[in-house]
Amino acid sequence: MIQEQNLPAAEVAAPQGAARLRWSAGPWARVDWLMVGTALLVAALAPLVLTRVTGGGFVAHLMITFFIWSIITQCWNLIMGVSGIYSFGQVALYAIGGWTTALLAKEFGWSPWLSLWLAPIAATLAALVIGLPTLRLRGVYVVLLTLAFHELLRNFLTNGPQIVTGGGTGMVNVPKLFDQFLGGGMDQAMHYWLALALFTITTLAVWAILHSPIGVAFRALRDSEVYAVSRGVDPFRFKLLLFAFSAFFTGLAGGFMVHYQATASQSVLSFGFVINLLAMIVIGGWGSFWGPIVGTALMIVLSELLRGVDDYRNFMIGLIMALIVIFAPQGLVPLVSKFVGDIMRTLREAE
Amino acid sequence: MQQLSQSLYSGVLYGSVYGLMALGLTLIWGALRMLNLAHGALYVVGAYAAWALINLAGLPMLLSFLIAVGVAALMGLVLQTTLINQVIGKPGFDNASLIATVAAATMIESAMLLMFGPQVKTMPPVFEGNLLIPGIQLSIRYQDLLVIVIAVASLFAMSAFLRGTRYGMAIRAVSQNMDAAKLMGIPAGQVFLIVMVISAALAGLAGVLLSSIFFLSPFSGFLPMIKALIVTIFGGLGSIKGTIWAAYLIGLLEASLQVYLGASIALPGLFLFMIVMLVIRPNGLFGLGEGRRL
Repeated sequence: MIQEQNLPAAEVAAPQGAARLRWSAGPWARVDWLMVGTALLVAALAPLVLTRVTGGGFVAHLMITFFIWSIITQCWNLIMGVSGIYSFGQVALYAIGGWTTALLAKEFGWSPWLSLWLAPIAATLAALVIGLPTLRLRGVYVVLLTLAFHELLRNFLTNGPQIVTGGGTGMVNVPKLFDQFLGGGMDQAMHYWLALALFTITTLAVWAILHSPIGVAFRALRDSEVYAVSRGVDPFRFKLLLFAFSAFFTGLAGGFMVHYQATASQSVLSFGFVINLLAMIVIGGWGSFWGPIVGTALMIVLSELLRGVDDYRNFMIGLIMALIVIFAPQGLVPLVSKFVGDIMRTLREAE
Repeated sequence: MQQLSQSLYSGVLYGSVYGLMALGLTLIWGALRMLNLAHGALYVVGAYAAWALINLAGLPMLLSFLIAVGVAALMGLVLQTTLINQVIGKPGFDNASLIATVAAATMIESAMLLMFGPQVKTMPPVFEGNLLIPGIQLSIRYQDLLVIVIAVASLFAMSAFLRGTRYGMAIRAVSQNMDAAKLMGIPAGQVFLIVMVISAALAGLAGVLLSSIFFLSPFSGFLPMIKALIVTIFGGLGSIKGTIWAAYLIGLLEASLQVYLGASIALPGLFLFMIVMLVIRPNGLFGLGEGRRL
């Protein structure tokens, strides 16, 4: 298991000059790579089973959804939770990634494999454009400007030129990444593996940035901006860097999802989806590494369980978020890991 | 000439209602240091309460308006006691209050959706007919006039309340310096509750008034909230005078963008204006620093 962060800063940031960080003292030494490898192997082999059982296709679809959504929630958590920038623009960046590759592949006849790479670039550029005026400002202003950005994009994609809106239905029949020739469910398996690869790369990147000196700087900025600034951290530069970083992977996720579903629909910009993603972060654990991943998995399972009472789902999500805020403000992952840690310690002391 | 008078008239109409919404937001920001993202939901509560009282219970309109404002205020009370009081004063209040208000907004809006369905509702006007002003070819609906009168009267009443009464003074004291106010024996918890109830009532009133002009749906509180947020920030967060001035300026700007450039330009134009404004003058129109508020 990867341990929670909270490393003393000296252990992460190598002291200047003299002794560099010992290899075995690095944050990577605390990761059980065997466990990670096994989990990845199981996840990678899953489609071989899933394509052969009834209902497996649906499970594979849920897994793909989980991979992609947890890319967004991890990135959003980096911004909201780790860095304390109250940005509500993450879903808009996701939509920008999706629309970019959908437009290029469908209207300009690009190969989806080529246009997919422009999705993260477009999202990053958009993030820089929003970030430049926004990130110098304090919390409330960021909320307003990012909400405004979201609303403007929704407006444009709903009422804008026909080529973007598809007459209000969104863009349909977007070329898929894998042609149907594979047959026998392999089309979905290929998507699954690609989504798994994207998820793994993003998760590793997020983990790396959290445990780098940059990650320490972010947490310093969130916890005490005055102190961080006085130690030479330039908040604007770091925030912009993080904004661009998380926009890159979010845009990539958006691009993948559009080709997977073969549609770019305005419904991703609905507020229900934003709240859904936010709830995943809040439930899992705002600002922690595992929080958004576990939260996304929990919410996807919960949504399936609540499918019968679909009308009440949003109400339940709101209620759960409120309960979490009151009773477990850190989220479920830190709560459970503390609980487990306490039990382990008691057991050890009893021995 | 007709365009000018039309945009002036619409500007005053929008400005009055945005003023009501924004005043509530700014009061909460001043006292609790919290961005209330459930403000739009309280707007919707007021509007649906009025709609239900008129169309389902058949009460007279002005009485329903009054009760609806009371319902919104009650909702604010519930919100404060069940949710905000649990997170206030604890570490991580910034995060927690943001999530708590988003959660409250989600619950309230989905409850409205469950109770009233997704169909768009319209409220019948209190007064039918138009007032024609011949010289400038302007026709003013009596309904709009009523909205303006009620909104402006409420703004004046609020202003008098904050300046003249003990409670108003307590609110201002807490906003200016919470610690000093507590040391002077002002019960901060009670002030928070009063602020929340007033702010919810103002949001509910704005919902009632604006829904008699526009359509009503469970999510129709979002845009007024965003515009109120623009007004609040433009006027300088926590400043009441600035907020009211800003409300009319933003209202006029939106109305003239609509009249001269078309309705689809109005919203992007407002946002662009906001961004430029924030870059040039981040402290808002009246530029209050951290030291002086209200």
